[in-house]
Amino acid sequence: MTAFEKPQIIAHIQKSLNYTVFDCKWVPCSAKFVTLGNYARGTGVIQLYEIQHGDVTLLREIEKAKPFKCGTFGAASLQQRYLATGDFDGNLNVWNLEAPLTPVYSVKGHKEIINAIDGVGGLGIGEGAPEIVTGSRDGTVKVWDSRQKDIPVANMEPVQGESKRDCWTVAFGNAYNQEERVVCAGYDNGDVKLFDLKNMSLRWETNIKNGVCSVEFDRKDISMNKLVATSLEGKFHVFDMRTQHPTKGFASVSEKAHKSTVWQVRHLPQNREIFMTAGGAGALHLWKYEYPVQRSKKDSEGVEMGVAGSVSLLQNVTLSTQPISSLDWSPDKRGLCVCSAFDQTVRVLIVTKLNKV
Amino acid sequence: MPPLQIKDYSWQQTESAVYLSLPLRGVRPGNADIFCTENYLKVNYPPFLFEAFLYAPIDDINSKAKIGNDAIVFTLFKKEIGMWEALSLASVDKEMMQRIREKSVLQAQAKAKELTEAKAVTKREDERYALKIMMEIEENERKKIEDLKENERQKATKELEAWKEQQKNAAVEEEKIEKELKMCQQKKQIEKEIKKSQDKKTTNHIKSMKSKNFTKGKNAKIIFSEKLKDDYVPAPRSTGNIKIQFTPRVFPTALRESQVAEEEEWLHKQAEARRIMNEDIPELHDLKEEEKNPEWLKDKGNKLFGTENYLAAINAYNLAIRLNNKIPSLYLNRAACHLKLKNLHKTIEDSSKALELLIPHVADNANARMKAHVRRGTAFCQLELYVEGLQDYEAALKIDPSNKVVRKDAEKIRNIIQGTELE
Repeated sequence: MTAFEKPQIIAHIQKSLNYTVFDCKWVPCSAKFVTLGNYARGTGVIQLYEIQHGDVTLLREIEKAKPFKCGTFGAASLQQRYLATGDFDGNLNVWNLEAPLTPVYSVKGHKEIINAIDGVGGLGIGEGAPEIVTGSRDGTVKVWDSRQKDIPVANMEPVQGESKRDCWTVAFGNAYNQEERVVCAGYDNGDVKLFDLKNMSLRWETNIKNGVCSVEFDRKDISMNKLVATSLEGKFHVFDMRTQHPTKGFASVSEKAHKSTVWQVRHLPQNREIFMTAGGAGALHLWKYEYPVQRSKKDSEGVEMGVAGSVSLLQNVTLSTQPISSLDWSPDKRGLCVCSAFDQTVRVLIVTKLNKV
Repeated sequence: MPPLQIKDYSWQQTESAVYLSLPLRGVRPGNADIFCTENYLKVNYPPFLFEAFLYAPIDDINSKAKIGNDAIVFTLFKKEIGMWEALSLASVDKEMMQRIREKSVLQAQAKAKELTEAKAVTKREDERYALKIMMEIEENERKKIEDLKENERQKATKELEAWKEQQKNAAVEEEKIEKELKMCQQKKQIEKEIKKSQDKKTTNHIKSMKSKNFTKGKNAKIIFSEKLKDDYVPAPRSTGNIKIQFTPRVFPTALRESQVAEEEEWLHKQAEARRIMNEDIPELHDLKEEEKNPEWLKDKGNKLFGTENYLAAINAYNLAIRLNNKIPSLYLNRAACHLKLKNLHKTIEDSSKALELLIPHVADNANARMKAHVRRGTAFCQLELYVEGLQDYEAALKIDPSNKVVRKDAEKIRNIIQGTELE
């Protein structure tokens, strides 16, 4: 592919903010996005922006007592589009952005900061009850249903007496019918654990030797296909989740890029083989996964095991000198994405030619 | 040997030029050195020398000399048009000759300098020009790429605006459809009611019975299909709990591959230091390496406490305290064990020791201090020293006023004290 046929990552709009922004998410079915962060005075802020004629305009600003770390629309219905947020104090809140005075659902879910949040079952994607999962610094991963107050519907916590490790990232997957659902969690000691919510058991765990910054399935609403886990030291691993070997687990391929922490990975909603990683040096890398000729093979004892494919770099661009902490693809327009970095700016990017990749 | 002067030269002239021919006399053409200025011409081909102090100035830049055929032929272009009386000036004395020679040399030098300067200037000009062209080319390239990007941006913006318009229209359409649907439903409701009232009037009529069944059937179908349209959301999941264990890691920081070597080294050094310290305690010699680590022993004690093996837990804590008696959590945990075993005096001792060690009262050890107070309070109460117990519970509440369990227990103790006082 010549230089002019490769997808180009173009910075469309750049907006400088006056607070530290931790997360940014598109509001489904609209040209609006929210940014979450904290002011220097120690309060949390949610801002709602709309893209109009090549620039962003601030529509609404909501300030709350505790700083926000993460948010998701994943468990909201398309009509209501409630935002679920996790804050520095361990509170999970679900907000109606039109009436933000009191949250629709609120619970003090964790004793320490909620590092990561994910939602499934809303937005017409996937089947089953809408649920939210939160992972916190207190080492626990809890799954919430907004119809059940105060008590999580699933709690993945360390055994009594075990010293805890920070949970840095969570992701839902395998939600292809009403019963099946899986949560993947990544911890700071390099553990990646896969919990099966239907059987309430630990399905698989591994250690990737570096703290896990971000995990994501390529699609939440299909039978688990691929999982990408990114970590410190500039590495990320792509696991083939179709074939589980009883002892060796899932096959994986790993890649080193960015020369610094890979903070986020996000798959393109319109094509599950393409994903973008955001790095600690302010760079974005666009990757494409290619499947191997045969996705599974028999090992020496005749047990099926998976075969990992290969990953190739399509494009990369350096946007900032500070880490890009959060990245979100627009589910409505292919190639449109919003990213936020620790240099207090949020950028809207256009990635071209993704339909020809 | 002094040079021989050439005197047998021949020359011709026109209005504008002078043609001079010098015999080479067998000297190789390469050896001929010609020096020519405006007024002076010298040809030196050893052993011969020819000098001419020209009658009038000539254009020495354009004049030519051809060497060959055993002769040198000069074509000198006159500066001023006119016939010369002679080739060279007639009356020239030695001094004048010298002066003319010197002037000529200087003239020649000046001309040479001018030439080199001119060359340098043109060279610089050329370089600048080349650079300018290069920059223009690069600029064009960059502009092309920028334009491409700009086009993409514009296209994307337009598409986004168009899509937003579409969304708005779709929303408006949906609203219209919803309104229509509502009206349809209302109409159907009204029809149903009318039919119901009609049916009541004609219950004995068989035909209307049939029609009633028929309409009922139709309505039932509509209700059924509407129910299918409603999305079926399953009930919340039944609460579940999964216990997990982590890959063990001593350090509270995140795991990084590049730091693993350093961390191993640090741990090794710590183990060495401990070994040196404990070499004087003979009983510890037959213990394994890890069993001499107070942290490991504390973990072991915690696990034993979790499985309700309190005596073994106390042993583990004892050994740990022998190795390092400055860790407050060891005393705290041992106090909990003693409390479970009802060794109340030991509980009080250990909690007090823990509180002593937690003397800098900071937010970090608030949790530990609270636990110590609660355990000591419980022990006091079980010894029926309710006042001291209440004091400890109050202290615990001061540290953490939001703890409901402690508050309730404090209330209970207060009631007991008041109860006994009344008696």
